[in-house]
Amino acid sequence: MSPTVTVVLLACRQAVPDPESFTGPLKGAGLNIRVVLEPCSSKVEVFQMLRTLAHEADLLWMVGCPEKACQMVEGSRRMTQRVAHAREYLQEIGLEPERLGMVLLPAGNQEIVDATVNEIVERARILGLNPARAGTKVA
Amino acid sequence: MIVGTRKPLAEIQDMLKKYDRLLLAGCETCVAECASGGRREVAELAAALEMAFRLAGQEKDIQEISVDRQCVHEFLLDVVDAAQDRDAVLSLACGAGVQALADRLPETPVFPALNTQFIGETAARGLWLENCRGCGNCLLALTGGICPVTRCAKSLLNGPCGGARNGLCEINLAKKCDPEVPCAWLQIYDRLKTLGELDRLLALCPPKDWSSGDAGGPRRVRRPDQEARG
Repeated sequence: MSPTVTVVLLACRQAVPDPESFTGPLKGAGLNIRVVLEPCSSKVEVFQMLRTLAHEADLLWMVGCPEKACQMVEGSRRMTQRVAHAREYLQEIGLEPERLGMVLLPAGNQEIVDATVNEIVERARILGLNPARAGTKVA
Repeated sequence: MIVGTRKPLAEIQDMLKKYDRLLLAGCETCVAECASGGRREVAELAAALEMAFRLAGQEKDIQEISVDRQCVHEFLLDVVDAAQDRDAVLSLACGAGVQALADRLPETPVFPALNTQFIGETAARGLWLENCRGCGNCLLALTGGICPVTRCAKSLLNGPCGGARNGLCEINLAKKCDPEVPCAWLQIYDRLKTLGELDRLLALCPPKDWSSGDAGGPRRVRRPDQEARG
Protein backbone atom coordinates (compact mmCIF):
# COMPACT_ATOMS: atom_id res chain seq x y z
CA MET A 1 0.00 0.00 0.00
CA SER A 2 1.28 3.47 -0.85
CA PRO A 3 2.32 5.38 2.28
CA THR A 4 1.21 8.61 0.66
CA VAL A 5 -2.50 7.84 0.60
CA THR A 6 -4.25 10.77 2.26
CA VAL A 7 -7.47 10.29 4.19
CA VAL A 8 -9.65 13.19 5.30
CA LEU A 9 -12.31 12.64 7.95
CA LEU A 10 -15.06 15.22 8.21
CA ALA A 11 -16.60 14.35 11.53
CA CYS A 12 -19.35 15.52 13.82
CA ARG A 13 -17.62 16.55 17.04
CA GLN A 14 -20.28 14.78 19.08
CA ALA A 15 -19.57 11.49 17.31
CA VAL A 16 -15.79 11.89 17.55
CA PRO A 17 -14.95 13.45 20.91
CA ASP A 18 -11.35 12.27 20.57
CA PRO A 19 -9.89 12.57 17.02
CA GLU A 20 -6.82 10.65 18.20
CA SER A 21 -8.96 7.50 18.16
CA PHE A 22 -8.79 7.75 14.36
CA THR A 23 -5.53 9.59 13.72
CA GLY A 24 -3.40 7.23 15.86
CA PRO A 25 -4.26 3.92 14.20
CA LEU A 26 -4.53 5.39 10.69
CA LYS A 27 -1.08 6.99 10.98
CA GLY A 28 0.13 3.71 12.38
CA ALA A 29 -1.17 2.03 9.21
CA GLY A 30 0.98 4.35 7.11
CA LEU A 31 -1.72 6.77 5.95
CA ASN A 32 -1.74 10.55 5.96
CA ILE A 33 -4.78 11.56 7.97
CA ARG A 34 -6.52 14.82 8.68
CA VAL A 35 -9.60 15.01 10.89
CA VAL A 36 -11.83 18.07 10.61
CA LEU A 37 -14.34 18.38 13.42
CA GLU A 38 -17.68 19.88 12.46
CA PRO A 39 -20.51 21.11 14.69
CA CYS A 40 -22.66 18.53 12.86
CA SER A 41 -21.96 16.27 9.90
CA SER A 42 -24.78 18.04 8.04
CA LYS A 43 -22.67 21.20 7.94
CA VAL A 44 -20.71 19.56 5.14
CA GLU A 45 -22.15 20.29 1.72
CA VAL A 46 -21.76 18.13 -1.37
CA PHE A 47 -19.47 20.68 -2.98
CA GLN A 48 -17.14 20.47 0.02
CA MET A 49 -16.97 16.70 -0.30
CA LEU A 50 -16.16 16.99 -4.00
CA ARG A 51 -13.63 19.78 -3.49
CA THR A 52 -11.88 17.77 -0.82
CA LEU A 53 -11.53 14.86 -3.23
CA ALA A 54 -10.44 17.20 -6.03
CA HIS A 55 -7.71 18.91 -4.01
CA GLU A 56 -6.63 16.94 -0.99
CA ALA A 57 -8.00 13.51 -0.30
CA ASP A 58 -7.49 10.08 -1.79
CA LEU A 59 -10.25 8.88 0.52
CA LEU A 60 -12.87 11.00 2.25
CA TRP A 61 -14.83 9.69 5.21
CA MET A 62 -17.90 11.33 6.69
CA VAL A 63 -18.60 10.58 10.34
CA GLY A 64 -21.96 11.42 11.86
CA CYS A 65 -24.03 10.35 14.84
CA PRO A 66 -26.72 7.67 14.57
CA GLU A 67 -29.86 9.33 13.25
CA LYS A 68 -31.75 9.15 16.53
CA ALA A 69 -28.81 10.62 18.44
CA CYS A 70 -28.32 13.61 16.16
CA GLN A 71 -28.53 16.79 18.22
CA MET A 72 -29.59 18.69 15.09
CA VAL A 73 -32.42 16.11 14.66
CA GLU A 74 -32.09 15.87 10.87
CA GLY A 75 -28.33 16.29 10.60
CA SER A 76 -27.25 12.69 10.13
CA ARG A 77 -30.07 12.02 7.68
CA ARG A 78 -29.09 15.02 5.60
CA MET A 79 -25.47 13.97 5.66
CA THR A 80 -26.46 10.48 4.46
CA GLN A 81 -28.48 11.98 1.60
CA ARG A 82 -25.61 14.26 0.63
CA VAL A 83 -23.13 11.41 0.64
CA ALA A 84 -25.46 9.49 -1.69
CA HIS A 85 -25.69 12.50 -4.00
CA ALA A 86 -21.93 13.02 -3.96
CA ARG A 87 -21.38 9.34 -4.77
CA GLU A 88 -23.68 9.67 -7.77
CA TYR A 89 -21.53 12.58 -8.91
CA LEU A 90 -18.37 10.47 -8.46
CA GLN A 91 -19.94 7.76 -10.58
CA GLU A 92 -20.56 10.31 -13.33
CA ILE A 93 -17.05 11.68 -13.00
CA GLY A 94 -15.64 8.19 -13.47
CA LEU A 95 -14.07 8.04 -10.01
CA GLU A 96 -14.74 5.17 -7.63
CA PRO A 97 -17.68 6.15 -5.37
CA GLU A 98 -16.02 4.02 -2.68
CA ARG A 99 -13.52 6.84 -2.21
CA LEU A 100 -16.27 8.54 -0.24
CA GLY A 101 -17.16 6.55 2.84
CA MET A 102 -19.40 7.25 5.78
CA VAL A 103 -20.21 5.88 9.19
CA LEU A 104 -22.81 6.68 11.82
CA LEU A 105 -20.91 6.41 15.07
CA PRO A 106 -22.38 6.43 18.58
CA ALA A 107 -20.15 8.91 20.40
CA GLY A 108 -16.70 7.39 20.78
CA ASN A 109 -17.87 3.76 20.38
CA GLN A 110 -14.50 2.00 20.21
CA GLU A 111 -15.77 -1.12 18.49
CA ILE A 112 -17.18 0.88 15.58
CA VAL A 113 -14.11 3.13 15.50
CA ASP A 114 -11.90 0.05 15.14
CA ALA A 115 -14.12 -1.41 12.42
CA THR A 116 -14.11 1.93 10.56
CA VAL A 117 -10.34 2.23 10.79
CA ASN A 118 -10.00 -1.28 9.38
CA GLU A 119 -12.41 -0.44 6.58
CA ILE A 120 -10.51 2.74 5.70
CA VAL A 121 -7.16 0.94 5.67
CA GLU A 122 -8.56 -1.80 3.47
CA ARG A 123 -10.18 0.71 1.13
CA ALA A 124 -6.90 2.62 0.89
CA ARG A 125 -5.09 -0.60 0.05
CA ILE A 126 -7.56 -1.45 -2.72
CA LEU A 127 -8.04 2.01 -4.25
CA GLY A 128 -4.66 3.65 -3.68
CA LEU A 129 -4.07 7.20 -4.85
CA ASN A 130 -6.90 9.29 -6.22
CA PRO A 131 -6.16 9.98 -9.90
CA ALA A 132 -8.62 12.89 -9.95
CA ARG A 133 -6.86 14.75 -7.14
CA ALA A 134 -4.74 17.77 -8.02
CA GLY A 135 -1.07 16.88 -8.09
CA THR A 136 -1.56 13.12 -8.13
CA LYS A 137 0.89 11.26 -10.29
CA VAL A 138 -0.34 7.73 -10.75
CA ALA A 139 2.13 5.35 -12.39
CA MET B 1 -40.39 29.68 -10.65
CA ILE B 2 -38.47 28.08 -13.47
CA VAL B 3 -37.44 24.53 -12.67
CA GLY B 4 -34.33 23.08 -14.23
CA THR B 5 -32.21 19.96 -13.90
CA ARG B 6 -28.53 19.51 -14.53
CA LYS B 7 -27.45 17.96 -17.79
CA PRO B 8 -25.42 14.77 -17.60
CA LEU B 9 -21.82 15.54 -16.71
CA ALA B 10 -20.53 13.83 -19.85
CA GLU B 11 -22.63 16.14 -22.04
CA ILE B 12 -21.32 19.21 -20.24
CA GLN B 13 -17.77 17.92 -20.43
CA ASP B 14 -18.12 17.39 -24.16
CA MET B 15 -19.30 20.99 -24.65
CA LEU B 16 -16.32 22.39 -22.80
CA LYS B 17 -13.48 20.06 -23.75
CA LYS B 18 -11.77 22.44 -26.16
CA TYR B 19 -11.73 25.39 -23.78
CA ASP B 20 -9.13 25.79 -21.03
CA ARG B 21 -10.25 28.78 -18.98
CA LEU B 22 -13.84 28.35 -17.87
CA LEU B 23 -16.31 30.43 -15.92
CA LEU B 24 -19.24 28.69 -14.22
CA ALA B 25 -22.05 31.16 -13.63
CA GLY B 26 -24.90 30.42 -11.24
CA CYS B 27 -28.24 32.12 -10.76
CA GLU B 28 -29.51 32.64 -7.22
CA THR B 29 -33.23 32.80 -7.95
CA CYS B 30 -35.34 30.00 -9.46
CA VAL B 31 -32.64 27.45 -10.18
CA ALA B 32 -31.11 27.96 -6.74
CA GLU B 33 -34.50 27.17 -5.20
CA CYS B 34 -34.72 23.96 -7.19
CA ALA B 35 -31.14 23.08 -6.24
CA SER B 36 -29.79 22.92 -9.76
CA GLY B 37 -28.07 26.22 -10.49
CA GLY B 38 -27.31 28.21 -7.35
CA ARG B 39 -24.00 28.93 -5.66
CA ARG B 40 -23.76 25.43 -4.14
CA GLU B 41 -24.48 23.68 -7.42
CA VAL B 42 -21.90 25.86 -9.18
CA ALA B 43 -19.31 24.75 -6.64
CA GLU B 44 -20.34 21.09 -6.99
CA LEU B 45 -20.16 21.20 -10.76
CA ALA B 46 -16.83 23.06 -10.74
CA ALA B 47 -15.23 20.40 -8.55
CA ALA B 48 -16.84 17.60 -10.55
CA LEU B 49 -15.66 19.03 -13.88
CA GLU B 50 -12.19 19.60 -12.50
CA MET B 51 -11.95 15.92 -11.55
CA ALA B 52 -13.60 14.63 -14.71
CA PHE B 53 -11.27 16.62 -16.95
CA ARG B 54 -8.26 15.56 -14.87
CA LEU B 55 -9.19 11.93 -15.38
CA ALA B 56 -9.35 12.70 -19.10
CA GLY B 57 -5.83 14.17 -18.94
CA GLN B 58 -6.88 17.82 -19.06
CA GLU B 59 -6.24 20.50 -16.44
CA LYS B 60 -8.84 23.27 -16.59
CA ASP B 61 -8.72 26.70 -15.01
CA ILE B 62 -12.23 26.97 -13.58
CA GLN B 63 -13.64 30.06 -11.90
CA GLU B 64 -17.04 30.40 -10.23
CA ILE B 65 -19.52 33.23 -9.91
CA SER B 66 -23.16 33.57 -8.97
CA VAL B 67 -25.53 36.48 -9.43
CA ASP B 68 -29.05 37.14 -8.23
CA ARG B 69 -30.65 36.85 -11.67
CA GLN B 70 -29.19 35.99 -15.03
CA CYS B 71 -32.37 36.94 -16.88
CA VAL B 72 -31.96 40.66 -16.04
CA HIS B 73 -29.16 42.43 -17.84
CA GLU B 74 -28.16 44.67 -14.95
CA PHE B 75 -27.44 41.65 -12.77
CA LEU B 76 -25.13 40.24 -15.42
CA LEU B 77 -22.52 42.98 -15.23
CA ASP B 78 -20.39 41.02 -12.74
CA VAL B 79 -20.54 37.91 -14.90
CA VAL B 80 -19.54 39.88 -17.98
CA ASP B 81 -16.55 41.31 -16.08
CA ALA B 82 -15.52 37.89 -14.79
CA ALA B 83 -15.80 36.40 -18.28
CA GLN B 84 -13.34 38.78 -19.90
CA ASP B 85 -10.34 36.43 -19.58
CA ARG B 86 -12.32 33.23 -19.99
CA ASP B 87 -12.44 31.01 -23.06
CA ALA B 88 -16.03 29.89 -22.38
CA VAL B 89 -18.84 30.34 -19.89
CA LEU B 90 -21.07 27.59 -18.54
CA SER B 91 -24.32 29.05 -17.29
CA LEU B 92 -26.34 27.22 -14.66
CA ALA B 93 -29.35 29.47 -15.27
CA CYS B 94 -32.56 28.61 -17.08
CA GLY B 95 -32.69 29.01 -20.85
CA ALA B 96 -33.66 32.66 -20.48
CA GLY B 97 -30.62 33.36 -18.34
CA VAL B 98 -28.27 31.55 -20.70
CA GLN B 99 -29.55 33.59 -23.63
CA ALA B 100 -29.38 36.88 -21.75
CA LEU B 101 -25.78 36.10 -20.86
CA ALA B 102 -24.90 35.06 -24.39
CA ASP B 103 -26.36 38.34 -25.62
CA ARG B 104 -24.00 40.20 -23.30
CA LEU B 105 -20.97 38.14 -24.35
CA PRO B 106 -21.03 38.20 -28.16
CA GLU B 107 -17.44 36.96 -28.49
CA THR B 108 -17.44 34.30 -25.78
CA PRO B 109 -19.17 30.94 -26.13
CA VAL B 110 -21.89 30.46 -23.50
CA PHE B 111 -23.17 26.95 -22.80
CA PRO B 112 -26.14 25.68 -20.80
CA ALA B 113 -25.49 23.38 -17.85
CA LEU B 114 -29.18 22.77 -17.23
CA ASN B 115 -32.20 21.48 -19.05
CA THR B 116 -34.97 23.96 -18.36
CA GLN B 117 -38.03 21.91 -17.46
CA PHE B 118 -41.11 23.93 -16.53
CA ILE B 119 -42.77 26.65 -14.49
CA GLY B 120 -43.63 25.11 -11.17
CA GLU B 121 -43.67 25.16 -7.43
CA THR B 122 -41.65 23.62 -4.65
CA ALA B 123 -44.23 21.08 -3.43
CA ALA B 124 -41.99 19.53 -0.76
CA ARG B 125 -38.30 19.25 -0.04
CA GLY B 126 -36.82 17.68 -3.12
CA LEU B 127 -40.06 17.75 -5.10
CA TRP B 128 -40.98 20.30 -7.76
CA LEU B 129 -44.23 20.10 -9.70
CA GLU B 130 -45.28 21.75 -12.93
CA ASN B 131 -48.34 23.93 -12.49
CA CYS B 132 -48.25 26.59 -15.19
CA ARG B 133 -47.84 26.38 -18.96
CA GLY B 134 -47.60 30.12 -19.48
CA CYS B 135 -50.52 29.94 -21.91
CA GLY B 136 -51.07 33.69 -21.76
CA ASN B 137 -54.77 33.41 -20.93
CA CYS B 138 -55.15 32.36 -17.31
CA LEU B 139 -58.23 30.32 -16.39
CA LEU B 140 -57.51 29.91 -12.68
CA ALA B 141 -60.41 32.14 -11.67
CA LEU B 142 -62.80 29.58 -13.18
CA THR B 143 -61.24 26.49 -11.68
CA GLY B 144 -60.62 27.30 -8.05
CA GLY B 145 -56.95 28.14 -8.55
CA ILE B 146 -56.04 24.77 -10.07
CA CYS B 147 -54.89 24.84 -13.68
CA PRO B 148 -56.54 22.23 -15.91
CA VAL B 149 -54.32 23.22 -18.84
CA THR B 150 -51.23 22.11 -16.93
CA ARG B 151 -52.39 19.65 -14.33
CA CYS B 152 -54.90 17.69 -16.41
CA ALA B 153 -52.85 15.44 -18.69
CA LYS B 154 -55.32 16.14 -21.50
CA SER B 155 -55.68 19.85 -20.70
CA LEU B 156 -59.46 19.40 -20.63
CA LEU B 157 -61.47 22.51 -19.81
CA ASN B 158 -64.95 21.12 -19.08
CA GLY B 159 -64.51 18.36 -16.55
CA PRO B 160 -62.71 15.04 -16.29
CA CYS B 161 -62.15 12.57 -19.10
CA GLY B 162 -63.57 9.61 -17.19
CA GLY B 163 -60.28 7.75 -17.06
CA ALA B 164 -59.45 8.57 -13.47
CA ARG B 165 -59.20 5.70 -10.95
CA ASN B 166 -59.35 6.25 -7.22
CA GLY B 167 -58.84 9.95 -7.71
CA LEU B 168 -55.73 9.42 -9.80
CA CYS B 169 -55.10 10.42 -13.39
CA GLU B 170 -54.92 7.50 -15.80
CA ILE B 171 -51.39 8.44 -16.82
CA ASN B 172 -50.33 6.68 -13.61
CA LEU B 173 -51.20 3.42 -15.33
CA ALA B 174 -48.73 4.01 -18.12
CA LYS B 175 -46.09 5.99 -16.26
CA LYS B 176 -44.81 5.04 -12.85
CA CYS B 177 -45.34 8.50 -11.38
CA ASP B 178 -43.89 9.09 -7.92
CA PRO B 179 -45.78 10.70 -6.31
CA GLU B 180 -48.85 9.65 -8.26
CA VAL B 181 -50.57 12.33 -10.32
CA PRO B 182 -54.04 13.17 -9.02
CA CYS B 183 -56.95 13.87 -11.33
CA ALA B 184 -56.86 17.67 -11.66
CA TRP B 185 -60.60 17.82 -12.21
CA LEU B 186 -61.26 15.93 -9.00
CA GLN B 187 -59.02 18.46 -7.25
CA ILE B 188 -60.95 21.29 -8.90
CA TYR B 189 -64.25 19.77 -7.80
CA ASP B 190 -63.07 19.30 -4.21
CA ARG B 191 -61.70 22.81 -4.08
CA LEU B 192 -64.85 24.43 -5.45
CA LYS B 193 -66.96 22.33 -3.10
CA THR B 194 -64.92 23.59 -0.14
CA LEU B 195 -65.36 27.14 -1.39
CA GLY B 196 -69.11 26.60 -1.86
CA GLU B 197 -68.74 27.51 -5.53
CA LEU B 198 -69.66 24.30 -7.32
CA ASP B 199 -71.99 26.33 -9.53
CA ARG B 200 -68.91 27.45 -11.43
CA LEU B 201 -68.77 23.99 -12.96
CA LEU B 202 -72.13 24.59 -14.65
CA ALA B 203 -70.67 27.28 -16.88
CA LEU B 204 -69.51 25.84 -20.18
CA CYS B 205 -65.96 26.80 -20.97
CA PRO B 206 -65.70 27.72 -24.66
CA PRO B 207 -62.79 26.53 -26.81
CA LYS B 208 -59.67 28.15 -25.45
CA ASP B 209 -58.06 30.94 -27.39
CA TRP B 210 -54.55 29.62 -27.87
CA SER B 211 -53.36 32.64 -29.83
CA SER B 212 -51.73 33.90 -26.66
CA GLY B 213 -49.85 30.62 -26.28
CA ASP B 214 -46.42 29.61 -27.48
CA ALA B 215 -47.29 28.50 -31.01
CA GLY B 216 -47.03 31.91 -32.63
CA GLY B 217 -43.33 32.64 -32.30
CA PRO B 218 -41.58 34.30 -29.37
CA ARG B 219 -43.97 36.25 -27.21
CA ARG B 220 -43.30 39.67 -25.80
CA VAL B 221 -44.74 42.01 -23.24
CA ARG B 222 -44.31 45.70 -23.80
CA ARG B 223 -45.02 48.29 -21.14
CA PRO B 224 -44.38 51.89 -22.27
CA ASP B 225 -44.77 53.11 -18.69
CA GLN B 226 -41.78 50.97 -17.71
CA GLU B 227 -39.52 51.89 -20.59
CA ALA B 228 -36.40 54.01 -20.19
CA ARG B 229 -36.71 57.49 -21.54
CA GLY B 230 -34.90 57.66 -24.81
